[in-house]
Amino acid sequence: MEKSKLEEYANHLMFRLSDEELASLEDDFVTLSAQIALLDKIDTSDVEAMVYPFDVKTTYLRDDEPDHVLSQEKALANAPKQRQGHFVLPRVVK
Amino acid sequence: MNISEAKKLKEEAVIKSRMMAKKSNEKLNAIVTLIEDDKCENPNGKLANVPIAVKDNFSTSNIRTTACSNILNNYIAPYDATAIKKIKEAGAVMIAKSSMDELAMGGSNLTANIGPCHNPYDLKRISGGSSGGSAVLVASGVTPLALGTDTGDSIRKPAAFCGVVGTKPSYGRISRYGVIPYASSLDHVGYFTTNVQDAALALEVLAGRDDLDMTSSYEEVLEYSKLLDYEYKDLTFGVIDNVVDVLSDLEVKETFLKLIAELEEKGAKIKHIHFDNDLMKALFPTYFIIANAEATANHSNLDGVRFGVSKEGESMEEVMINSRTEGFSSFIKKRFVVGSYSLFEKNQERVFKKAQKVRRVVCESVLKELSKVDVLIAPASGKVAPYIQNEEKQDELTDEYLIAENHMVIANFAGLPSITLPMGFKDGLPLGVNLTAKAFDEVGMFKCAKAFEDLTGLKDLVKEV
Repeated sequence: MEKSKLEEYANHLMFRLSDEELASLEDDFVTLSAQIALLDKIDTSDVEAMVYPFDVKTTYLRDDEPDHVLSQEKALANAPKQRQGHFVLPRVVK
Repeated sequence: MNISEAKKLKEEAVIKSRMMAKKSNEKLNAIVTLIEDDKCENPNGKLANVPIAVKDNFSTSNIRTTACSNILNNYIAPYDATAIKKIKEAGAVMIAKSSMDELAMGGSNLTANIGPCHNPYDLKRISGGSSGGSAVLVASGVTPLALGTDTGDSIRKPAAFCGVVGTKPSYGRISRYGVIPYASSLDHVGYFTTNVQDAALALEVLAGRDDLDMTSSYEEVLEYSKLLDYEYKDLTFGVIDNVVDVLSDLEVKETFLKLIAELEEKGAKIKHIHFDNDLMKALFPTYFIIANAEATANHSNLDGVRFGVSKEGESMEEVMINSRTEGFSSFIKKRFVVGSYSLFEKNQERVFKKAQKVRRVVCESVLKELSKVDVLIAPASGKVAPYIQNEEKQDELTDEYLIAENHMVIANFAGLPSITLPMGFKDGLPLGVNLTAKAFDEVGMFKCAKAFEDLTGLKDLVKEV
């Protein structure tokens, strides 16, 4: 696995990798590639991907009434920066 | 102290538990936050005055919830998870938020941002993870009940290493509302106790439909603790031979096979099951790919903007990148990269979709064999708890690692109820056995577990430190 590819995967997830992390990941991908090859031994032709354990419907439509409302105060209580009921971010227009 | 003993002690149980928690934590490092002001809200409840520890990924109103990650080090949830609400309504008293692998993504508890959690049977050894702190607090007698979560075997493996009972019920049996997710199609809420009777009672309190969790089940909740009577002749155990065949520690193998022989002598029926070995070797990579892919999506909200630890930056993107770069450990970032890799358009069909298809093949094969028995049974691990120092030096391509150390993910793939309980000791360290039943047959699972527990006599094990 090329380092530039690993960096690209990390960039898509919005973080950077150090040189040590990249080197360690290169090693990990050797093992991972061998493990992924184990999947190729399983015949999955005509098999549908399994997304959840049970194909049971547990969702439903309810009346559009407010329920479990989080107050603005509580929603902002953990915000690193807040002002006038909003999350604060760096200026876009400078 | 088990649940019934705690209930008899009333408030004394809580006082004793808090004292033990403070005394032992210097050695065990099992606690993230000590809770000193919680009180019994229902003196007539099923868990009245029962001290309880809660894994630090359950949202607890006004109490820090960090998931042992630096990025959530200052996070205080604005509400209680449904499981927390239920234990409070039943009268339980929270003593501590317990240590865990960072964001529940590990099996050793070595990745917690507060440092390793120590096994009470040998402080130089790991607790197992990711629910290690909860396992340790029950094993060391601090609390008779502790909540955990299980995505691969994160309750059932530490239960084996710490000599306690670890229960992961069916998918959707306990609401996950308010639990910080890892991999949503595999995540389960479960718990630790010191015996099977207590495990059955805890499920009565915790189980049930919750409209706030769309995956929670409408299946009826039974009085499991009153449905434990059994006769050995009515029980059929399916031994997973693939696991037994790859065990390199002959003492573990003999301990297990001797107990199987004793079950048969008592009148239980034993069937030997041999799954396709290639399928068994594919369990771990299937799990690893699906879990990490789902985790990358679930944790995209940890951005340093709305909650959690934030780092300065010149733009919104920079704030997010700096917060996530510093907020996650190297271990977590590497896992996320694996998830990102498998979801990339170029790799998606070959890696992620392939794993999802293998998952279905595994489940169909397992359900076919499970229909012929009451439970599948195998050692929960082929070894005792490893040393903290050596934990990361495993060859992850051996059959023993791929099969014996990872077979319990089967129950997460198929949403099956699964329980680990003690089966013996090696050099003074606990060994565990795992039983897995049909979906929503918790009654059958508990009966077989009770039969096994009665056979070994290994219940209410406590190792105080």
